[in-house]
Amino acid sequence: MESALAELLKTALAEIPTAADEAALEELRLKYLGKKGSLTAVSAGMRDVPPDRKAAVGAALNETRIGITAALETRKAEQIAAKDAKDAEGIDLTLPGRPVSPGALHPLTQVLDRAVGILRRMGFALATGPEVETEWHCFDALNTPGDHPARHESDTFYFDSGHLLRTHTSSVQVRTMETQAPPLRIIAPGSAFRRDEIDATHLSAFTQLEGLYVAENVSLAQLKGTLEAFFRALFGESTEVRFRPHFFPFTEPSYEVDVKLSPKGQEPRWVEILGCGMVDPAVFQAICDARGDEVYHPDKVTGFAFGMGLERLAMIQWGIPDIRHLIENDVRFLGQFV
Amino acid sequence: MKVSFNWLADHLDLSAHSTAQLSDLLTFAGIEVEGITERGVRSDFLIVGQVISFVPHPNADRLRLCQVDDGSGTPRQIVCGAKNFAEGDKVPVALPGAVLPGGFQIKESQLRGSLSQGMMCAGREIGFSDDADGLMLLPADAPVGTPIHQYLEVDTMLEVEVTPNRPDLLSHLGMARELAALAKLPMKSLGDHTDSSIKQQAASAGEIRLDDTAGCPFYTARRIRGVKVAPSPAWLVRKLESVGLRPISNIVDITNYVLMEMGQPLHAFDLSKLQGGIVVRSASEGETFLALDGRECLLTTADLVIADQQQAVALAGVMGGALSGVTDTTTDILLEAAWFQPSRVRHTSRRLAMMSDSSYRFERGVDPQQTAGASELAVRLILELAGGTAEDVLLTAGAPPVLTREVTLDLLRAQRLLGTPVSEAEATGILTRLNLKPVGSLTFAIPGYRQDLQRPVDLIEEIARVYGIANIPATTDGQFVPASAADSFYDFKMALRQRLVGQGLYEAQTIKLISTAQLEDALGTTPQLLPALPLRNPLSDDHTTMRPSLLPGLLATAARNIRMGTSSLRFFETGTVFARTPDGKAIEKDALTMLLSGPVSPAAWNTPSPRVADASELRAILDALCPGVSVKLKPVPNARLLIAAQIIVNGKPVGNCGQIAPARVRALDGRHPMFAAEIDTALLLKAMTREVKFDEIPRFPSITRDIALEVPADLANGKLEDFFATRKEPLLTGAGLFDVFADPTGQKLAADKKSLAYTLTYRDPAKTLSTAEVDTAHAKVVAELLKALPVTVR
Repeated sequence: MESALAELLKTALAEIPTAADEAALEELRLKYLGKKGSLTAVSAGMRDVPPDRKAAVGAALNETRIGITAALETRKAEQIAAKDAKDAEGIDLTLPGRPVSPGALHPLTQVLDRAVGILRRMGFALATGPEVETEWHCFDALNTPGDHPARHESDTFYFDSGHLLRTHTSSVQVRTMETQAPPLRIIAPGSAFRRDEIDATHLSAFTQLEGLYVAENVSLAQLKGTLEAFFRALFGESTEVRFRPHFFPFTEPSYEVDVKLSPKGQEPRWVEILGCGMVDPAVFQAICDARGDEVYHPDKVTGFAFGMGLERLAMIQWGIPDIRHLIENDVRFLGQFV
Repeated sequence: MKVSFNWLADHLDLSAHSTAQLSDLLTFAGIEVEGITERGVRSDFLIVGQVISFVPHPNADRLRLCQVDDGSGTPRQIVCGAKNFAEGDKVPVALPGAVLPGGFQIKESQLRGSLSQGMMCAGREIGFSDDADGLMLLPADAPVGTPIHQYLEVDTMLEVEVTPNRPDLLSHLGMARELAALAKLPMKSLGDHTDSSIKQQAASAGEIRLDDTAGCPFYTARRIRGVKVAPSPAWLVRKLESVGLRPISNIVDITNYVLMEMGQPLHAFDLSKLQGGIVVRSASEGETFLALDGRECLLTTADLVIADQQQAVALAGVMGGALSGVTDTTTDILLEAAWFQPSRVRHTSRRLAMMSDSSYRFERGVDPQQTAGASELAVRLILELAGGTAEDVLLTAGAPPVLTREVTLDLLRAQRLLGTPVSEAEATGILTRLNLKPVGSLTFAIPGYRQDLQRPVDLIEEIARVYGIANIPATTDGQFVPASAADSFYDFKMALRQRLVGQGLYEAQTIKLISTAQLEDALGTTPQLLPALPLRNPLSDDHTTMRPSLLPGLLATAARNIRMGTSSLRFFETGTVFARTPDGKAIEKDALTMLLSGPVSPAAWNTPSPRVADASELRAILDALCPGVSVKLKPVPNARLLIAAQIIVNGKPVGNCGQIAPARVRALDGRHPMFAAEIDTALLLKAMTREVKFDEIPRFPSITRDIALEVPADLANGKLEDFFATRKEPLLTGAGLFDVFADPTGQKLAADKKSLAYTLTYRDPAKTLSTAEVDTAHAKVVAELLKALPVTVR
């Protein structure tokens, strides 16, 4: 009987791999393993096997069944694989896809959003103010002398009403302090305007990001720490930052801040990015006078303020050589910042 | 301002500091060093040589083969291209080993086959002059073989940016005082020239009359007779040249020297050309004045002039007159030293666009206390260099104003503002080094030249500046800050931007100032466009008006991209638009505008001719912009559009959209229909703000019924959508258009009709509907429809 089993296995293993399709394979399964199949027929001889041989013959019978079943499964897997391969025939994954217009945010928006994101994580809320401003909000309240050159018609745009296009977003500081009591921790992104001819480095309208923190005991040390943390978040943990004393009418002491950067294709160098300082007491006094209360009294609160130009930041970050690219909106330019 | 190290060395010994150290010291004290230039070369390999003889180079017509005495006793052969020298001339010779400005290294070499053992130099090659034509010829007494830097003065010049609050630094004396304080160096005993010993005598009204004491509270004059006007000596020429001034004559040069030394502008008049005494007065309206630079100025009463009895002879503090100045034939002079009101000088200088070293200093603020001292220094130098006799009194009118006062330091406040415990000794040490005189407990007298120190906070700034921010710790503090309305609006606008970018649009940012012609392109967010807001003082015709709409900028953007060969135009912009109220006040709004034209995607192998943007593309992008809320377009004629609609979001009008007139598109060279929408962003935020609540997901299947309707050709789909949306039938949950058909030939459908086909969806949230239930509900809806609108079922 064992020889009959061996012969059966041999025949089955030769025949199963030739099954052409699913139906032929099922036919073979029935032929060997079905109720009327060959293995069933052979196993009927178990009755005649002497008792001492039953265990050995039983094992041989089982092995034959396992062998045939495995062969059937292997062939089945082969057939599925072949069918799938046929379905995928001719598909070239390296072909270009269906074309889509990618679209992109303007690079200035991207720079602004990064800077705003960092400062919001540091606990600054956004604030806004009008772009058409009064001379008081833009200059007087910010301790700018009456005959300061910035007020001149040759430097600043005016309207018939006597109002002007704000020359900096610092006017938002004034607007916010007028209506909100301290403590105050705000950033104000927005447009500012100077009466400049447009050329490779100048726009008559540009984008600034202003910051102001007013509370009891705000210190220069905090200004330094805040801006250092900001620039490290923006340009990387190892970014070097330096503060140079400077002069602005609305802060004292005042600083310009340089960051060591490598503009495209250049050696690292100090790039002036930002102006800042401790809010001048005269500004707080002007706010008190306008509010008619003392919550911003210069003896009660101190504050720091900073402002930076975002076009410059974008130009440095991406190595853009001409500021006019930022207002021309050529898709070949915009498409580079997706 | 240009600062010469050699000049500074008159006042303090800087030899222990390198140029880089001093540059940093100044920069980190708020005096930014913008450039450093060297005069000459500090190299022992650059020596005085003498040409012994020369012959033409055997192989080059333009070159000479020279024998040069370098002091070693052995003549040196040098090939030279210059022609401006003769045998016996003394010239600078760079020996092998010398490094010239720009890193140029001198080596022994073969030039066209002849040995050249060094280089004879032009003035520019060795940083002594700008002269690059020919060799620099040295005086006959130049000692052969001596390094040039021992014979000619070598100097380092700094270009520094002085902030407007520190006019005291616009002089070498001031800069030296500052460096002395910063570097803790003693000032040399040369002094500050302010200790005037000359006897001052009040001038008679015939000598000096101050008619405008607000403009000029203090005027002094010294008369010197018998001077000899001549070129200045070398030391003076050298000093002036080192700070970029051109030497003129000894008298003028001395006034310029004092200006650069003390920051005190002076003016020397030719006494013989003055008709009678000096009058300081406001100009009369329409008075004319011929300035030193040849310009004829028309004056107004706001201008302050120095006049004689006949006419204005100088614009006070700005510029002298062409007719009263010192010339080569002048023998008697009147030397003016005065203090003028900064705002008056600034006004005149700016109005006439006439900037001078004098006006620059006066308008920022000169120390009134140094007037007499400066005059005395100038007189001493005039007598020394030009001879003559000075009167033994200084004539004065008025008195020098006192512009500084005592200021008390609040140490605790300083410590809190700086965020670091600066000690009292440290603070007072810094202030006294800056020449502030302690007059009481933490109270200081401020020198006349520090008019910027008026308030306690000004003292804190000085401490911060000198103490150095590098020594101040960096700390941060976080605190909870509630989101503002501006925060919400920012986030909303950013989400809108991201949605449009997701639809393949590019964000543009255009200029907020547009031309008057561009106003024609404005769209606006309301049915009527409000009047635009023009500038009073535009810079050019291209930028005369605040944009009332973002569309003009986007059309300009489209035009540019069309010019550059782009046909797929998908742009949007968000930003402020402006208008004017009837009484001229500005209105500002935030708008979002999009512009669509041409292929919606690039062409490719599988999309050789992409779909071109049409009205449905505009509509699709509006839907994508406002997900989850109802968006309706209500046709409303708009003068600026070919076809137009109001955009209604959640029942509220938020803007306008439509197709731009084809004639306008053709003018931009556009080849495809162009669509635009302009939305009031704040209104959109309001319309889209809603509370989202969970809706149970349907558990039972829906059943649909299709219906094709024959409707008049001009009946808008919107009418039918409105009809379906307002049905009270509880089982009807939606209606979707699936076909539009029209036949202009009238064969399949009358030409004045069109067919609209909808799929209506029915569902009961509580059970599976039976066919009969759906049929009943559908029949009811159709019956109502036929009653409500002029339609028939096809």
